[in-house]
Amino acid sequence: MTHSRSPLAKIGKGLQILLLLAYAVFALFPLLWMFIMSIKPDSQMLTTTFIFTPTLENYATVLHSDYMQFFLNNLIVSVAAVLLSLVVGVPAAYALARFQFKGKEDIAFTILSFRFAPEILVILPLYLIYQRLGLYDTYFGLIWVYQLITLPLLIWILRGFFEDISPDIEAAAQLDGYSWWQVFLRVLLPLVKPGLVAAGLLCFIFAWNSFTFPLLLSNNVQTSTVIALRYLASDTVHYGQVAAAAAISALPEVILALLIQKHLVRGLSFGAVKG
Amino acid sequence: MAELVLKTLTKVYTQAQSPAVDQLNLAVRDGEFIALLGPSGCGKSTTLRMVAGLESVTAGEIRIGKKVVNKLHPKDRGVGLAFENYALYPPLKVRDNLAFNLRAHGLGAKEINRRVEEIACTLQIQELLDLKPAALSSGQKQRVNMARAMVRRPSVLLLDEPLSHLDARLRVELRTEIKRLHAEQRFTTIIVTHDQLEAMALADRIAVMNEGKLQQFDTPLEVFNHPANEFVAGFLGEPPMNIFRAVVADSGRLVIPDTDFALPITPGVKKLIDSRKELKLGIRPWGIRVSQTQTDGSVPGKVAVVEDLGDETRVGVRYGEVLIMSSIPVTRRYRPGLQVFLRFNEEDLNLFDSITGERLSDGGYEANQTAPETAGKNEIQAPVSR
Amino acid sequence: MASIQLSGLTKFYGKRRGVEDVSLEVGDQEFLTVFGPAGAGKTTTLNLIAGIVTPDRGSIRIGQKTVDALEPADRNVAMVFESYALYPQFTVYQNMAFPLRSPKHRLPATEVEQRVRHFATMLKIDHLLDRQIQALSNGQRQRTALGRALVRRPDVFLMDEPLSHLDAKLRHSMRAELKEMRSQLGTTTIYVTHDYLEAMSLGDRVAIINQGRILQVGTPEEVYFRPATVEVAQLFGDPEINLIEAKIRNRQSTSVRVQALGEEWSFPITPEIGSALDKLTGDNVRLGFRPADVTVGANGNSSLHGVVYSFEPLGTKSVLTIESVAGQRVRALVDGHRTFQVDRRIEFSVASSSLIFFDPESTRYLIRSIRTEGDD
Repeated sequence: MTHSRSPLAKIGKGLQILLLLAYAVFALFPLLWMFIMSIKPDSQMLTTTFIFTPTLENYATVLHSDYMQFFLNNLIVSVAAVLLSLVVGVPAAYALARFQFKGKEDIAFTILSFRFAPEILVILPLYLIYQRLGLYDTYFGLIWVYQLITLPLLIWILRGFFEDISPDIEAAAQLDGYSWWQVFLRVLLPLVKPGLVAAGLLCFIFAWNSFTFPLLLSNNVQTSTVIALRYLASDTVHYGQVAAAAAISALPEVILALLIQKHLVRGLSFGAVKG
Repeated sequence: MAELVLKTLTKVYTQAQSPAVDQLNLAVRDGEFIALLGPSGCGKSTTLRMVAGLESVTAGEIRIGKKVVNKLHPKDRGVGLAFENYALYPPLKVRDNLAFNLRAHGLGAKEINRRVEEIACTLQIQELLDLKPAALSSGQKQRVNMARAMVRRPSVLLLDEPLSHLDARLRVELRTEIKRLHAEQRFTTIIVTHDQLEAMALADRIAVMNEGKLQQFDTPLEVFNHPANEFVAGFLGEPPMNIFRAVVADSGRLVIPDTDFALPITPGVKKLIDSRKELKLGIRPWGIRVSQTQTDGSVPGKVAVVEDLGDETRVGVRYGEVLIMSSIPVTRRYRPGLQVFLRFNEEDLNLFDSITGERLSDGGYEANQTAPETAGKNEIQAPVSR
Repeated sequence: MASIQLSGLTKFYGKRRGVEDVSLEVGDQEFLTVFGPAGAGKTTTLNLIAGIVTPDRGSIRIGQKTVDALEPADRNVAMVFESYALYPQFTVYQNMAFPLRSPKHRLPATEVEQRVRHFATMLKIDHLLDRQIQALSNGQRQRTALGRALVRRPDVFLMDEPLSHLDAKLRHSMRAELKEMRSQLGTTTIYVTHDYLEAMSLGDRVAIINQGRILQVGTPEEVYFRPATVEVAQLFGDPEINLIEAKIRNRQSTSVRVQALGEEWSFPITPEIGSALDKLTGDNVRLGFRPADVTVGANGNSSLHGVVYSFEPLGTKSVLTIESVAGQRVRALVDGHRTFQVDRRIEFSVASSSLIFFDPESTRYLIRSIRTEGDD
């Protein structure tokens, strides 16, 4: 800041880069480790880390099992959960951003508080309710319970986006001759698009990674996250196959994140419409 | 109290293409009031922050009194800065806000108290001393803000847009107060502002800046009456100066295209114009005579706009793309569509180079150039006791 | 084309008063400026007319129609917002064409194109039509916002401080342009501003509003020269009008002697002023006079005395603040060529033809001293 002399500044800059590098290694190492494990044969699993004969055998095993069915299950449940959240959450976020009503902040906080509570806390009553209602072990049951994860996130991100749009813009469009719905669809939605993308993606990731809910509220309709466990539970532990399953499981997230990285950063960093 | 000298002061931000402040030379006399005036982004605030020590210096030198302060910590430079957004410490009472800095310098409680009372008296904020900033109006906050900058008796007082957040009435009021305060206390003062009226009203000399470069540094009247270039001419004055393209016609006259204006070229002007075929002509709205009868050298035109503003009337006459605004004493005679005759006062004409925008020489049309008045010359009389 | 009639409009935001009992008539094709300080209720008034805000009480008529129950889209008013409220995702052209593509005002594509180009040319933004809003300067955005309102040819224009975010130079030229354009459009317009110059320059009439209430409606000359209250007088003019308390010592039929500013002085009066002063309960009167009506220099018997408190040159004019014998300060506007030293003793006088008399109790206007040129 003040009086930064150039040699000192250089050292500082170097240190900064070093620290960032260290963090990158720390963050990426588990991923690398998982990948290495997934191409190692079981026999060499516990020997030297970097010297082994690479093999795709683990992947072959996983792909030929019924794992892909659970992968598909996860996809269906997560995508449907995000879609439902969007349908419910966008109007809710709009209402919380625009309208003044009694208990507004309390409602907003209550919605957010779903995210605070550990899932394990509510799982027991939920389990009993689900058994009663016949929601146990159904797609819909999972999509429903995933709203606890996705909805608060979506509402809170989008609320900020709606708040950043000047009410004047809405009024202007109404005076220009559009009904409220047309204003919403033609003016507002395009403006919150970065937020929709970012929030939708985050919701998808959280839903996709969800473990406790599918583990305990479902049996046959199971997701890949939980099924990866199966490779641990049999007679011997097939670390290679676990790693391969995990790698496949992580793939959609990685691809999605890379595809919409631009929107993600923009959407999360400035929820701003400057016009 | 001390003089302040900036020598080729330069600031380059790493990502910027051009310097924020470019080789600025400025010598502020002891006790002088200087305004840094310019549009946003012209480098005036950066300059102020460099003087205060809040911004590092890329090149050049800042000297306060006899000391080069480039490398000194802000608190050791002997400057007092009043921030634009007040920046008062919210949990502290006004009294403690004022004393904060003095305590940091290790002054005794008695001395601190004496100084706080003294400055509060000067700025008429005695009744506010035991309030917290949240309880103050914006005008009061600005007074406290200035008091805090002055209480440590700085060698140089820096004011960063002190009036910009106040409403019109309060702004004029506080402007008068600041001017008065300076006349009594004679702090070496630099004010940063984008309001030309504020700069002219307050400063002994104005430094007009644009795009990091100093455009002109002179007394308010000199800057107003003899702007150094087209930018300065356009920036000062409300309503702004009329500036036209003018060409030297074969007839030997100076013609404003699209209009019937053809001004005679006197030998003196001819010397200024030199070999140029084209130049810019500037005239302030007050330098144009409007009448309903034709006189020698007046040009007919149709009134396009009339603005009655109480104490003055502004009449706009349109010639194609060119709208010429004039300002005349209040009258109800003119209506849009009326035929009038315009005449430019020769002594009010300004000539600028059409490419560089520089003023053509030092005299121009005007004959009675006044000598720049310096702050040092003003004899200070003892304030009348009140 | 339509007249507007507001009757008894009242809107509270919770406990905060937006406007209270605002009644106003705007004639067909009239340009009315609504002037007042920040938070006076100006924007609320506009929003009520546009239908963006619904009133607690009162009624609005546009033309022959009561529009209280109509949606904003059905009122056929166009508004220019202080924030411009442009659609950031669109280009200039798309912004301007947006109203003409709406279900309410839909036009064939060729006509949309023609209208947008017509008004873009008029506003000198025809070269910017393909630009994104983010790529525009403040002035260009302002023009685009104006263009979006103009293409509609609505019954009523509502303009909310359209020039307030422009720099001083642009504001002056844009004001003149707007005034020129006015005659071409001939649409009933309500224009909100906090700048008294804009209010006086643009308005056929000016409505002065403060704290949600209308203080005066009148032509620019009326509100400047015959302000209804002290408050109105203070809102017009820069620097502000001088206001002093005067005690009437001695009154003859043609002159009056007062004690004010710490001295006794007299000035001539007309019979009308005399009868106005008769209505006062006490012998105090409040006098208002503009800084331009103060003359500095000796002026025989009517001279007052003071010292220069502060001197602020502004170019062609300078503001001189004089501290009178009584300590009260008086502002004078003097010619830019004259210079004054602080603390110098000077004599000054007030043009007796420019005095405005106010009732000191009610602060209401009584009379002003002589016919002004504004009465011709």
